[in-house]
Amino acid sequence: MTTHTDTATHSFAPERAPRLEWSRHAPEVWKAMLRLSKAASEGVDPGLQHLVNIRASQLNHCAFCLDMHTKDALAAGESVERVVQLSAWDESRHFYTERELAAIELTEAITVLTDGFVPDEVYETAAKHFDEAELAHLIAAITVINAWNRFGVTCRLTPGHYTPGQYA
Amino acid sequence: MTARTTRLDDGVRGALRAMGAAAGKGLGDPGLAELVQIRASQLNHCAFCLDMHLALARKGGVVREAQLGLLSAWEEAGDDVFDARERAALELTESVTLLTEGFVPDEVYERAAAHFDAARLAHLVALIAAINSWNRLMVARRIPPGATDW
Repeated sequence: MTTHTDTATHSFAPERAPRLEWSRHAPEVWKAMLRLSKAASEGVDPGLQHLVNIRASQLNHCAFCLDMHTKDALAAGESVERVVQLSAWDESRHFYTERELAAIELTEAITVLTDGFVPDEVYETAAKHFDEAELAHLIAAITVINAWNRFGVTCRLTPGHYTPGQYA
Repeated sequence: MTARTTRLDDGVRGALRAMGAAAGKGLGDPGLAELVQIRASQLNHCAFCLDMHLALARKGGVVREAQLGLLSAWEEAGDDVFDARERAALELTESVTLLTEGFVPDEVYERAAAHFDAARLAHLVALIAAINSWNRLMVARRIPPGATDW
C-alpha cells in the first residue's frame, strides 16, 4: 500500500482504474510529449520547476501529477512547508523568493486562461526576474505541465504509486 | 499590436508540432480536428490560433460555414448542424479545456468513448492537449493574429 500510512482505523474508498491508457493507444504522441517535456525543462531551474508543476497541477486538479511532482520535490530536498503552503502562496509570500513568486503568478495566469488573458502586470513582473530566454523556457514549462494535467485528468490516471525519479 | 516576445525554444516548437501532427493523424478526421481546435481557442481566447484554424477550416471547405458560425453555441444549434459524434467531441473539448473549473465528468467521457474507439479517443484527447498548449504559448507571449514570426 503506497497511498496511505494509516489504514488500521479507516476504510478508504476503493481505488479506481484509469479510464484510458492513452500512451499505449497513442505511442507517437507519447514520444513527442516526452521530447516536449525534456525540451521545456532545459533552462528552468529544477527547484522552481517543481513549484510550477505542483501549482499548475493543483489548479487543474490532477491527482496523478500532484502525486508525482510533490514526491519529486520532496525527494529533491524541497521543504514540506513550502509544498503545503503553495496553494496559499499569496498569503505566505515570505516562504518564497520574489523570483519564485513571479513564476508562480505567471503559472496561474497561463493555467487559468479561460478566465481571461495573461495580465500585463503579471507578465512584466516575470520579465523583471527572468531574461527573455529564461522566460521563454518558463512559459514552455508551464504549458507542458498543463498538457500533462489534461492527459492525467481526462484519462483519470491513478495517483499513489509514483516513486521519485520513476520517469527520469 | 506587437508580440511580448517571439522567443520559443526550437526543441519545444518542434516537439509540440510533432505531438499535434501525431494527434491529428490518429484522429483521422481533419474537419472535426479543426472544430475541436477552434472551440478550444475560443475558450482560451487565443486570437492567433483562431485566425489560423479558421483559415485552415475554410480552406477547401474542410468545415461547413454554418458550423463555423454556430460553433460557440453548438449545444443550441440543431442536430443538422452538429451530429452526435461532433457534439461528443466538442463536449469533451470543453471539459478538458476548462480543467480549472472541475474534472472531466463521467457522462462527458462516456459519451466520447461511445463515439470514438480507444485509439481515436486517445488521439482526440492529445489533440485537445496540443491546441491548449499552443493557446498558452501564443496568449502568454501575445503573438498577434496573422503573425509569421512566432
